[in-house]
Amino acid sequence: MFLKKKPMWGKKTKLKSSYDVVIIGGGLHSLATAYFLAKEHGITDIAIIEKNYIGFGGAGRNTAIVRANQRTQYNVPLYKEALDLWPVLTKDLDYNLMFNNCGNLNLMHSEAAMKAARMTIATAQFHGVESHLIDAKEAKELVPALNISEDITFPIHGAMFHPPGGVVRHDAVVWGLARGAAKKGVEIHQQTEALGIGTQNGKVTSVTTSRGVINTKQVLISAGGYSAALIYDMLGIKLPISVLTIQAMVTQPLKPVLDHVVSSGAYHCYANQTLKGEIATGAHMDPWPNYTTLNTAHYIKHQAEALSEFLPCLRGVRFMRIWGGLADMTPDMAPIMEGNNHVEGFFMDCGWGYFGFKSCSAVGKYMAEYMATDVCPDMLKPFALKRYQEHKLMGETAELVSYSPDN
Amino acid sequence: MMNRFNHLPTLKVDTAQKIAFIYKGKKYYGVKGDTVATALYANGIRIFARSLKYHRPRGLYSLDGECSNTCMEVDGIPNVRCENTLLKDGMVIKEQNVKGSAENDWMSFLDKLDWMMPAGFYYNVMHKPAKIWPIAMKQIRKAAGLGKISPDFEMPGKFDEIFLNTDVCVIGGGPAGMMAALGAAQKGLRVILMESRPWLGGFFEYRSSQYKEGETLHNRAGQLAKEVESFENIRVFTHTAAVGTYNNNLVTGFQIGKKDDVFNERYIEIRAKSVVVAAGCIERPLIFDNNERPGVMQINCALRMAKTYGLLPGKKAVFSIGHDLGLEAALELHDLGLAISCIADIREDGQDPVLLKKIQDKNILFLKGWVATKAHGRKLVKKVSLASVDGQVSKTFDCDLVVASAGMTPVTGHITVAQGTLKYDNHTGFFLPDQMPDKMHAAGRLLGLNDPLSIEASGMLAGLKAAFDCENCSIGEIGEAKKALENLPGPVRGTKLVTAPVKGRKSFICFDEDATIKNIKQAIEKGFDVPELIKRFTATGLGPGQGGIPGHNLPLYVAKYQALPDISIRPTNVRPPLVPTLISTYAGVNHKMFKITPMDEMQRKDGGIFRNIGVWQRARYFSNDLSCKKEIENVRSNVGMLDGSTLGKFRIYGPDALKALQRVFVSDMSRVKQGRIKYSAMCNDDGCMIDDGVVIKQGENDYYFTTSSGRAGQTAEWIRYHTRYDGWNFALVNLTDALGVINISGPNARKVLEKVVDIDISNEAFGYSEYKEFKISDTIPLRAMRLGFVGELSYELHVPSSYMKAVWLMLKEAGKEFNIQNFGVEAQNVLRMEKCHIILGQESEQRTNLLDVGLGFLWDRKKADAKTIGAVALHQAEKDQTRLKLVGFKMENNSRAPRDGALIVDDKVRGYIATARDSFSLNEAVGMALVEAPLSKIGTRLTIFEDECGDDRIYGKVVEMPFYDPEGKRMKM
Repeated sequence: MFLKKKPMWGKKTKLKSSYDVVIIGGGLHSLATAYFLAKEHGITDIAIIEKNYIGFGGAGRNTAIVRANQRTQYNVPLYKEALDLWPVLTKDLDYNLMFNNCGNLNLMHSEAAMKAARMTIATAQFHGVESHLIDAKEAKELVPALNISEDITFPIHGAMFHPPGGVVRHDAVVWGLARGAAKKGVEIHQQTEALGIGTQNGKVTSVTTSRGVINTKQVLISAGGYSAALIYDMLGIKLPISVLTIQAMVTQPLKPVLDHVVSSGAYHCYANQTLKGEIATGAHMDPWPNYTTLNTAHYIKHQAEALSEFLPCLRGVRFMRIWGGLADMTPDMAPIMEGNNHVEGFFMDCGWGYFGFKSCSAVGKYMAEYMATDVCPDMLKPFALKRYQEHKLMGETAELVSYSPDN
Repeated sequence: MMNRFNHLPTLKVDTAQKIAFIYKGKKYYGVKGDTVATALYANGIRIFARSLKYHRPRGLYSLDGECSNTCMEVDGIPNVRCENTLLKDGMVIKEQNVKGSAENDWMSFLDKLDWMMPAGFYYNVMHKPAKIWPIAMKQIRKAAGLGKISPDFEMPGKFDEIFLNTDVCVIGGGPAGMMAALGAAQKGLRVILMESRPWLGGFFEYRSSQYKEGETLHNRAGQLAKEVESFENIRVFTHTAAVGTYNNNLVTGFQIGKKDDVFNERYIEIRAKSVVVAAGCIERPLIFDNNERPGVMQINCALRMAKTYGLLPGKKAVFSIGHDLGLEAALELHDLGLAISCIADIREDGQDPVLLKKIQDKNILFLKGWVATKAHGRKLVKKVSLASVDGQVSKTFDCDLVVASAGMTPVTGHITVAQGTLKYDNHTGFFLPDQMPDKMHAAGRLLGLNDPLSIEASGMLAGLKAAFDCENCSIGEIGEAKKALENLPGPVRGTKLVTAPVKGRKSFICFDEDATIKNIKQAIEKGFDVPELIKRFTATGLGPGQGGIPGHNLPLYVAKYQALPDISIRPTNVRPPLVPTLISTYAGVNHKMFKITPMDEMQRKDGGIFRNIGVWQRARYFSNDLSCKKEIENVRSNVGMLDGSTLGKFRIYGPDALKALQRVFVSDMSRVKQGRIKYSAMCNDDGCMIDDGVVIKQGENDYYFTTSSGRAGQTAEWIRYHTRYDGWNFALVNLTDALGVINISGPNARKVLEKVVDIDISNEAFGYSEYKEFKISDTIPLRAMRLGFVGELSYELHVPSSYMKAVWLMLKEAGKEFNIQNFGVEAQNVLRMEKCHIILGQESEQRTNLLDVGLGFLWDRKKADAKTIGAVALHQAEKDQTRLKLVGFKMENNSRAPRDGALIVDDKVRGYIATARDSFSLNEAVGMALVEAPLSKIGTRLTIFEDECGDDRIYGKVVEMPFYDPEGKRMKM
């Protein structure tokens, strides 16, 4: 009854010689943009060009956490809309994206952190997003596994509790969007490498791929960690992006023990339990830029040390798998979304760092609007590249930027 | 309890020593040397667990823990691999993931509902209508997961860690690994040998076949082990699994403690010059219907049960195998009393004629080109059906044991995790090493070798290659070792059959995730064409045992199903840890790592409440009144002492020292005068303030300067980076830890200090903003600065760390008559806020530049832009009216101070509160906020939005800064 002998995202087809839109990268932002272009704007003559297979990069390597408790007013509404879209997409795609609306608990380990959290919480509340500052005891009531004793490296002062957040099944989003887009006529070309973008008189004319040249007037590069290099190689546009490997890991599966996403900035660690029962954990990037996606001995040990302290029951649990992905970091931890600026018909959507998953649904919607109308939607205006030229960082993180060999 | 053999030379159990344990609340006995799994088996336990999805009965399958079949709860710890865990006295063992018991699980009806659960079915159900999903999800969560852990579980036992250096690290203590270790050790190198089993010997250890005339493989293993142990430069770690291999030959693993060890498990990290991987092979599971029914086990499992643990695994057996080891095992087990109805060999030919002859002599039915197609029996195997490989003819036999194995599969995880690549080899059917990582060598069975002498020779060759990496071996010697190997039998032909000729509805490719051959077909038909994607869609190889069971079969099957040529068969990724490893083991001893100041102990005695602040632990409060009223009032009216040792402190000197300072500081540093203090700031390329501090000139091109506490670690790198192309000659010394800092502040500060020092420190002799160096009692050198961070008469004394306690005590003694008191970081925070002196990170953030915080006067605009980092951006920002500016404000109507981090709003967010307090000194609520430029005019009313305020707002008004002592008389008195 369930077995449909039909490939989910269309049969393998020949690459045509021209498309209305070519999208480079087969990740979530690409798939979502293609889906919304087809659904909302009737643009269906689209080719998605993916070097490996869809979901090969960050889309399949993230830890699937979604939330809308960012720091600035520019970001909160975008992520709020992304959160609101998960149930909508589940329905529209008729594919269970398994949104586990479990809420996020962001631990605070100092007075300074509590102050920073308060600003973030006030910003969320001001924008109608639920988020509360709670003390250590309340945090322990929510997460009984939490260690709130004074006798750990970073004692817990309190937490930012954000009930609307949670976890979405990341692979399902990839496959659901791919299926949804393909149904509307979008072509997904896997094992096809984009090699260059052709321009004439400042306008996009074509995309060269490993399977031939495609004529097109609009190109979007949203290729995750590889975007910055591709954009520079193909069009000579330099972006303030450093690419770093970020690692994540899971334990062997357990019966329910952790009902929320718990994270800690001081410990550089977050943990949540997947629907399969694994504790998925990760957080920080390698200390220097690299494209390796390699695992390091240091990192898994670090995670173990952190979890041992603030979720000590996990000391009796085993790690079974660690992997790496890429985070394309901008100096202000906010992305770059831009179109028709350097070259007419060229759009970019990159610099998401480790926020690419949680934003993909809303960004797909607005990038589609941007590409279909050639008018930048208000929601995306703050993310233009020019903020770096004007030395006006967005402040999505409070951290000072040290431009150094490391970024 | 089953009878045990006690006469076999290969036994690792002592049947005379009984060990008691509790299983499901009942007491049982095993013997010394048993694993939990073998002890249970000896007591007649056959069903160890139930499977994840269908609750199928599961039992002993291998003895190396490649799957979750024998994962149980042991002493409260979930998912313990019972096959690898030695039995200990009093162990409490429980089943996992069962409803009822493993024997009778009432969820086992799910096994009949598999048609409802094709690959990825969950994506297509339970979301319509939307409201059923949260309910369904709860049930899914309960059903998923294997072990159970309670949120208040406390892990017993001790965990340790060691970090070793060696010349050669050998992974695998079998014959190849031991030979490699000997080869390298004979060259005088330091060798570490890691073996995951509790003893050396590997593939030879439990076998009685002939090594050479008059010597069994078992004897040979013992002989090699003895030789290895005779070398002082070989350090052997048994019961130590290598779980990770990383760049530059970093190998990690964990060691299980023996009875007398001080640890239960120990994390090991080894940096080696060269690594030899001789991890051998595991078996490639044979796939047929019910291929995981308890009673079906692999060759080595059946053989080692008897040879190592003295347990005959069954009474009547059928063998369905594809490797000579299966024939050898059948013969041995037959001699030990196992009745064998039939041996079905996948291979049409190629068997060892000696073994075939023996089988014939013993009248065992032998079928070439046959394979098991189905195991019968509801819970345990009762019968098995066999068929010819083409499925044309079939037979059924009664039996209680099916020894099933498709062939061997090499353990190559250590190679691929270290970035080595594999290539499918048509002859062996293995994924063999293609590109080896730098200074890593493979040896032994994982290369497809099977002949004992070849295995040893390849080990020797690898050991010498590793010695060559350490420059202790000549090319000639390696050539000889290579030749020796080439003259011996090469890799053996391997089988390629993955699955019996069945439809595959109950043929399991992955036990952990209950993934069947049918599921794989379903995934392929849905368009998942790459093994890595099929893995994700069907969860094959994503369970507790990872790729141990399906790792080799999946790509072979996918290639066969899609009729792909050999060259395009690609293995799936293997990821660390190669053996599931406890979080407590990785954590090891879990050090707390904070820096403490020389005053740490003394301040704790004085009642200091400490906080982690950056890399330091600092006294934030000195009483439980977190508003610090007393501490603040004491500084304002009397005198207090603060430990400021965390301040970054540097000396920069050399011919180009001034140039370097000019580059990083915004002020004109050539105007710093000797004996005077210059306050200045550093910016980044965006003009944003990253640091501030004071600079003192000690001589020509010789300066002493301070940075903020949080920044000290980065300062040296910052200066080096920003002068990297200049080739300037200067030296920078980080004195942060060499010097401590005492800040003595308050109107009585001079009176106290005067009593301790012998020089004139009157306001005329040592005025505000001046710097002096002198000694106390001709012994203790001091650097003294007159600063006013807290807004009072204040001296900052920089003292060699070793003298800090002495000076602190002298001041305390001298201050007794004034009732001098400690003050902490929070009191300082309020004091300086009243004075509107900023703290970076508190009144500034990423977006804030020098001009925004009102420190534009520090910037010397006449300096060439190239000389000053951030100058270009500052010029640009001067004209920008949309930035956030720092303002001072007071609250309206005697309202309380807003909480730090509250927002300034109208219809949008316009800024936020940096620091605000109810000031005791001023008797009103004041604070500083970062607001958009149009709101920064004096007198502007600020609407403040606090968290949880609902529709209520509070209001403040922008006022002049500073709030306290605006003329600055008090710090200059």
